[in-house]
Amino acid sequence: MLIETVGLEKQYGEVHALRGVSVSIEEGSVVGILGPNGAGKTTFVEIVEGLRRQSAGSVRVFGLDPVTESSALKQRLGVQLQSTHLPEDLTVREVLGLYRSFYEEAGTIEAALDYVDLSAKENARTRELSGGQKQRLAIAMALIHDPDLILLDEPTTGLDPAARRELHGVILGLKERGKSILLTTHYIEEAETLCDRVIILCDGRSVADGSPFELLEQAQGRNTVWIEVEGEIDFLPLVWAGAEPCGQEGRHLRFQTDDPAGFVVALGQLLQEQELTLTDLRLKRPNLEDMYLELVGGVEGGGGQSIGVDAGVDVGTGSEVDGGSGDVLPDTSINEDPKR
Amino acid sequence: MNTFRGLKMLYWTGLISVTRSRAALFWTLAFPAFFLFVFGFVFGGSPGGATYLMPGLWTITVISATFFGTSMTMVTERENGTFRRYHVTPVTPQAIVTAFGLVQATTLVLSLILQGVLAWLVFKVDPQGPIYLLLPVFAAGIFAFTPLGLIVGSISRDMKTAPVVSNLLFFPLMFLSGAAVPFFMLPDAVQKIARLLPSTYLVEALQGVMVRGESLGKLSGPIAVLVLTGVVGFTLNTLLFRWESTDPVNRRNLAIALGGLALIYAAAALFGPELRMRINPS
Repeated sequence: MLIETVGLEKQYGEVHALRGVSVSIEEGSVVGILGPNGAGKTTFVEIVEGLRRQSAGSVRVFGLDPVTESSALKQRLGVQLQSTHLPEDLTVREVLGLYRSFYEEAGTIEAALDYVDLSAKENARTRELSGGQKQRLAIAMALIHDPDLILLDEPTTGLDPAARRELHGVILGLKERGKSILLTTHYIEEAETLCDRVIILCDGRSVADGSPFELLEQAQGRNTVWIEVEGEIDFLPLVWAGAEPCGQEGRHLRFQTDDPAGFVVALGQLLQEQELTLTDLRLKRPNLEDMYLELVGGVEGGGGQSIGVDAGVDVGTGSEVDGGSGDVLPDTSINEDPKR
Repeated sequence: MNTFRGLKMLYWTGLISVTRSRAALFWTLAFPAFFLFVFGFVFGGSPGGATYLMPGLWTITVISATFFGTSMTMVTERENGTFRRYHVTPVTPQAIVTAFGLVQATTLVLSLILQGVLAWLVFKVDPQGPIYLLLPVFAAGIFAFTPLGLIVGSISRDMKTAPVVSNLLFFPLMFLSGAAVPFFMLPDAVQKIARLLPSTYLVEALQGVMVRGESLGKLSGPIAVLVLTGVVGFTLNTLLFRWESTDPVNRRNLAIALGGLALIYAAAALFGPELRMRINPS
């Protein structure tokens, strides 16, 4: 077992950062810890890293105690902290050479640079790097000794979408090479794209745990359908088919249904009977974001609308997303996955 | 970890960072030179005067470099998260502290040599003893003060408190030791208090070489006090080391550090021979 925690608790004064988190993580997988700010993600990872001591419960990493057996454990862990200060006057190669010197056995600097696609910048001083390049260097620092487990704490936070996508490529590359990775994120898209397994933390508790697909199956949200027709429509046949009318958005009528296939059949019959022309049809299936918001209760948002996952939803900041009940019209046609 | 390899790389990259930083070069080389010229032109009118000035000037350079250079750099590194990043690697506090001290000591040696060479060229300083005796005195002084700077860096909570702690130590060390004001001019009571300060022994030893032309045997007393200070300081440094600003200062270890230093200086004050810089050299 890579990581095993039982009833893990952490208290900072009156604040409970973790409230009895029990998880087992096996080797060879990419596991994401997803949650809003203050959910306990970083505290969890810091306890695994040995930076913090738990208030109660137990934690073993490779069967070792992260605090009392830290020397042995640190040789096997590669850590990228939430924020890494890089020595501005050193080059990328010098920084990696420094961190390489700390380990008994370390890979080559070239290999680490290759992992993160930073070979072209090896002689650049770190102050000359872009935000995304700095973050890739921070990951290279974690990989320099070819660790058995890589811990990435919000690796893409603060990066623009292009840099974030680049970093996703780096992490997927590590995944392809069979690395075990534990990453924290508050980007749902990131968890869906990168992780074999997602653990959702909320208010210091594990509220969901499974593969993205399994979690989607558990999602309680309903399908939302938008239709646009030419002419006056009597949508009673759609209601008989189980759809619930949810009002109008511009020229689109919005419905929610548990049976999108039945809705489409009923719609086809309706169009034929009422001699109407369908000009647009859009479908949004419940996704991980819906489930996430349901679980965390839209902790930091107001009431209103959800937004597309592709927009890089920063659930943690609360400014872009909410846990409200509404859906906005997805910018996709019926044949497209609305998330992409 | 491979302690020596880690220590060597920390030292080497630390030196590289200093040589590439304009601010670090200014404070290491330009500022001490500027300081020399100000003091030299104002107070050191004759070669004899300049020669008498140098022990105090060098001592001030050592104190300021350790309390403002070493300690501030250490606090900065801790505040910006560098130590925290090291904490998730196998590198030890001993390696970090030692490398830190060695980098600061190296740059300090350069400052002292530069001041000495410029003083010899511009103000024609005329050491009364052999110049090579400055080496053990400098070495002992740097060995004593560097860990004191590191301790200040370790116990200062953050960048706001570090200058306060440094200033609290810097001014007494400078003004009561004979570094800024000739020791023989200080009142008797102050001279007695001065015997509890490490800077006093550095000035005494440097004056022994520069002004009184003493042998190594005569310098061994103040050198021994400085070396003992360094031993206690370095030993306790790793006990006081903090990875993060939020880590509490280990009060017990701090009390041991202060107690150890107090013992050394109490013994030196009570049992050591009379300080020869009490006598007006002219």
